Amino acid sequence: MYCDAKKVMDTVTIERDNPTWKVLLTLTLIAVIAVLFIIVAGCASSSKTLSQDDLEAMAQGIDKGLMCPVCPSETIDQSQVQIANQMQMIVREKLAEGESQDEIFQFFVDRYGAGILAEPPKSGFNLLIWIIPPMVLLLGSGVLTMIVLAMRRGHHGQVEEELPTASADMEPYLSAVDQEIRRLTQESTRDTTKDGPNIQSFEGKVE
Amino acid sequence: MADLGNISLLLALALGIYSATGSMLGVWQKSPQLVQSALNATYLTPLALGVATASLVGAFVSNDFQVEYVAAHSSLAMDTQYIWVAFYAGNEGSLLFIAFALSMMSALVIFFGSRTIQASLPHTNLVLMIVLMFFVAVMIFLANPFARLDIIPLDGQGINPLLRHPGMFIHPPVLMTGLITFAVPFAIAMGALISGKTGDEWVDAGRTWGIIAWIILGAGNLLGMWWAYTILGWGGYWGWDPVENSSFMPWIVMTAFIHSIMVQKRRGMFRMWNPALIIIAFGFAQFGMFINRGGPVPSVHSFGQSTLGWIFLLFMGLTMVSSFCVFFMRYSSLKSTRNLESALSREAAFLVNNLLFLTIAFVTLWGVIYPLISDIFQGEIITVGAPFYNQVNGPLFLLLIFLMGVAPFIPWQHASWLNLYRALMMPVVSAIAVAVILVLAGVTKPWAVIAFGLCALVVAGILREWVRGALSRHKRGESYPVAFARLIAGNRPRYGGYVAHLAIVLLALGIAGSSFYEVQRDIVLSPGESADVGDYTIKYVGANALERADRTEARAEVQVFREDNFLGSYYPQRDFYPAFNMASTKAAIRSTPIEDLYIIPGEFLEDGRAIFRVHINPLVMWIWIAGPLLFLGVIVALWPQKEVATAYARRPSGGTAASSGIVTK
Repeated sequence: MYCDAKKVMDTVTIERDNPTWKVLLTLTLIAVIAVLFIIVAGCASSSKTLSQDDLEAMAQGIDKGLMCPVCPSETIDQSQVQIANQMQMIVREKLAEGESQDEIFQFFVDRYGAGILAEPPKSGFNLLIWIIPPMVLLLGSGVLTMIVLAMRRGHHGQVEEELPTASADMEPYLSAVDQEIRRLTQESTRDTTKDGPNIQSFEGKVE
Repeated sequence: MADLGNISLLLALALGIYSATGSMLGVWQKSPQLVQSALNATYLTPLALGVATASLVGAFVSNDFQVEYVAAHSSLAMDTQYIWVAFYAGNEGSLLFIAFALSMMSALVIFFGSRTIQASLPHTNLVLMIVLMFFVAVMIFLANPFARLDIIPLDGQGINPLLRHPGMFIHPPVLMTGLITFAVPFAIAMGALISGKTGDEWVDAGRTWGIIAWIILGAGNLLGMWWAYTILGWGGYWGWDPVENSSFMPWIVMTAFIHSIMVQKRRGMFRMWNPALIIIAFGFAQFGMFINRGGPVPSVHSFGQSTLGWIFLLFMGLTMVSSFCVFFMRYSSLKSTRNLESALSREAAFLVNNLLFLTIAFVTLWGVIYPLISDIFQGEIITVGAPFYNQVNGPLFLLLIFLMGVAPFIPWQHASWLNLYRALMMPVVSAIAVAVILVLAGVTKPWAVIAFGLCALVVAGILREWVRGALSRHKRGESYPVAFARLIAGNRPRYGGYVAHLAIVLLALGIAGSSFYEVQRDIVLSPGESADVGDYTIKYVGANALERADRTEARAEVQVFREDNFLGSYYPQRDFYPAFNMASTKAAIRSTPIEDLYIIPGEFLEDGRAIFRVHINPLVMWIWIAGPLLFLGVIVALWPQKEVATAYARRPSGGTAASSGIVTK
């Protein structure tokens, strides 16, 4: 019975000498290797010692995370007012003293409140802002799946609409496929009822 | 002048009321004459509002400072050309501009709709006139641009210095026109719902106007990015500021709409979803106007602060409630005639596309309103800045680019894995090859590699289709250029869409390049000194100051070298406006396809030294090239053509899809 199903699959796979799944597998493998390669390369480049340039880059990263207290909607990195410049100086001094990014952020939060951070903290009540978007996406995907399933169920009740005829040069080939399928379907209905599920699962695949 | 303005505003209100009630009664009484008369009144509204616009311009030209609006936004020293900008520098003028634009759009809809959406035209007209009357009434009763002062000031206060930039001549008007044009596809869909013509009659008109609104708003946003890049002087172009977000959200929802409307056009599906989507899009556009007119969130765009915003919020609420009431009244007649056949089909891919776009719009809205939520529930105003949007929306955009590379090649109705394998083998291999080459070339940030790889996927897929199409036509005896031109002309919505997709890829390249590999340095130089930034050597030659009537212009001269080659002299400039205690900078930008060198004069110190902020922004030029290309794509997609014979005639690799269809029988 298992063999039967395999035979059906083999005959219907339209190009027998071009096994799709092998290629798909190869592609997946290549993709996985490429991703690993990228990650390894990325790690290798980031494990250097800290130079002056790296410190400045870190400082700029911190600048981008701190809002300017007097100008609406600008970080101290963007703003050109005096207090922003002073805050930038403080960031660099503290980095040079060996303080971490979190410590520097905390220093400013203690003085100005959490609103000084450009990025809402990922803790406490503010977790809400981070959690809602993925939840909405999940919920949306769930609804979408249900819609697709419901619409497909509706479709099976419908009369199959007229399909366009394929181009003329495909015609003999397609009718050969049709014949082959009719033959196989007859063959399997002549077999015991046990074969039913196999045919169904095969139909599902082709769709 | 002001009297004439007031009179014409009242006249516009009267015309709007007549047109709305006339078209309603005309349908009710089955009187074609009354309907025609109402539609004619709509043609007259741009005339009345045009006169109002002209009188406000006249008041600016004649420096009529008794008009409060002119006194607040103009001065004797202001150059005449800035009248154009001063016109919409505040709420009152912006409202007049928006109303004028809407009246012109309405007239165009009535003119072009008389053939295509005839049956629902009176209802569409009704909706348009209600929106127009809202704007005119707000002007007359709450924010009159022609309001008078009791005393006549000797001079006006002058125009905000940040608005004095070529970008300001086009960015705000284009953006406002774009936002208000959202009312048109909304009105067309609502007209169809109200009149009960809930089939596919409205689809072509709705799609056309949806795309028009989309490209105008998109152009407005791009021009705003360009303005931010060249004048706000922080080296970037997009800051996820609430006002930017408020014009980004409707654009994103409209992007979803112009995709999903194609499914209804081609397959008669999503009949319920498309009207709902356009209602949401118009809701976001109204939300955008609410934020723009003085909403409750702080923004760099706070030019016209007032409490007027709340009226807009109220109007938005009423619009949404009434639209969805109409929608649910027609709910049962909106069932699709066809159902989805397979989860692996173009229709299903469009659904995923819509899900992603709507999620992005929601995330952005959530970020905009979260500070208020936080204020209410924990008594602390939290800032939601760029890092939030980059982290949450960034991956969603990458998913969209992936979908853009895959979905156009999934056949309608149902695809087989073999179809996909055939269509996508070459693009996927190219994408992986590009990713590997980039890593070998030293681009090692994983997100950047993924972004560039996905861009390659899209480009390879589109090029493959173009080359194959042109080749097969060439075999039938057409020369290559003719073959390519006829291929594009053969199915304009499809190939116009591809051009737009390529433009989006350029946009993505520019954004990815400049956000992942931006370099920024602050340098302090005395005249004659030089400093190295990246590969460049920057030499400060000197500066000169020029006193103008209302400002001091300080212009620095810097010379740029790379590996001892002289690349040119550049002149970053900083203007100081004592009246506003405000400075505006003009960055000097050396733009190449690879990267921009961007020099901003920070400050000129007493001792002759100058502070410069230097950015190296890779690939930014492609963002600006994307704009015209997007426009070209839209023109191709909208260019009228005889309908493609059947919906299925042109699916890619149609042979195998058809065969799998036959197999299921």
